Amino acid sequence: MSRTIEDRPTVPPAAPSKGGPVAARRRALLAGRQWKGKEREYDLFKELTVGVIVVGVLVVGVAAIAGSPDEPTINLQSWGNASPFDFVATASTELGKTSSTATYGPPYSTTTDATQTLGPIDLQSLSGRRIPIDTAADFVTTPLRKLHSEIPALATWDAADSTQQAKWANSYADAIGKAPQGDPAKVKSGSYGPVPAMTAGLLAEAQRGALDGAIQGEGGIFNTDYTRTILFLGDGSYFPDLATAQHLTGDQWGMMNETGNFPGQSWLWLFSFWYQVPAIGGLANADLVVVGLMGLLTVLLALVPFIPGLRSLPRLIPLHKLIWRDYYRRR
Amino acid sequence: MSDMAAAVGDIGPAGTFLSWGMFSIQLGNLIVIITMLVVFALVLVLPFPGGRRGR
Repeated sequence: MSRTIEDRPTVPPAAPSKGGPVAARRRALLAGRQWKGKEREYDLFKELTVGVIVVGVLVVGVAAIAGSPDEPTINLQSWGNASPFDFVATASTELGKTSSTATYGPPYSTTTDATQTLGPIDLQSLSGRRIPIDTAADFVTTPLRKLHSEIPALATWDAADSTQQAKWANSYADAIGKAPQGDPAKVKSGSYGPVPAMTAGLLAEAQRGALDGAIQGEGGIFNTDYTRTILFLGDGSYFPDLATAQHLTGDQWGMMNETGNFPGQSWLWLFSFWYQVPAIGGLANADLVVVGLMGLLTVLLALVPFIPGLRSLPRLIPLHKLIWRDYYRRR
Repeated sequence: MSDMAAAVGDIGPAGTFLSWGMFSIQLGNLIVIITMLVVFALVLVLPFPGGRRGR
């Protein structure tokens, strides 16, 4: 049994808080004083049981009627089969270390001036390079070696210095970009070294479903770390295009959307809102600005009782008097 | 863009989006938000369940 505010009796005003043992004793006395106001029965277990049953029936009922999001898995195999040209072009940028992952900065690389900063604040660098990724080795050469594919081309690649490797890879990536429909088979002849063979071999491994496991390479039966696979996918245009088609990108309120017509995380609307404001969403450090704004608003919310004007809102908009109207009517 | 067309074909339809100028909202989200507002208004207006009054 518990009491409600409705039945709260008038209590003597508390003495000015001056701290110290005397004030503490007075507060303890007040808390320990016997309740002399009205009481009414209130069954917390009944409320909990009814609440759980009602919500449970709603969840199961709506799920039975509407189902749940069940999109097919996107992996390197489906990418290789659906968009092989994009796969090969992306693999070339991984070899040339010009992809988004290669130039992202912490926690993957040490690229200078890649982080978002706000004045002296550089949160991204604070993490350090926790997940070091060498895109050429992690996404291309090591998986090929593991799968015993394109061994002669790998030998040529290994024999060249890093400048020559980058030159081959970047020339090939540029050539694919200029080829009709981005078709690697239609690139103009040039000095690409072993890159065409390596990227074609990588595509073949992806298409037969061997590349996902080779890149994750956790060594066990079950793979749970998809970091590298998703980064590789994200460097291409196929995966981001899927997100764009489903309105899941930052400039499409993506944070609060779900695939199809399923409702998403609509409570994240305020976080997503700032990205829709061109003056903020277009900034190079938009993420940091949005995080800062939300942090500031959260602090303001926590400090509402201390902010003049803001703390008077309940007096100006007495919504509580509508909720507790029985009490205020009888008072 | 051919990749884009392929991408859309690989997953389900994008759903229904309602747009007013720069504002656009997915139908599912709009239904949930309207439902939340309706429930909030009902909570304000409906009386408390009549419990047995004690002493």
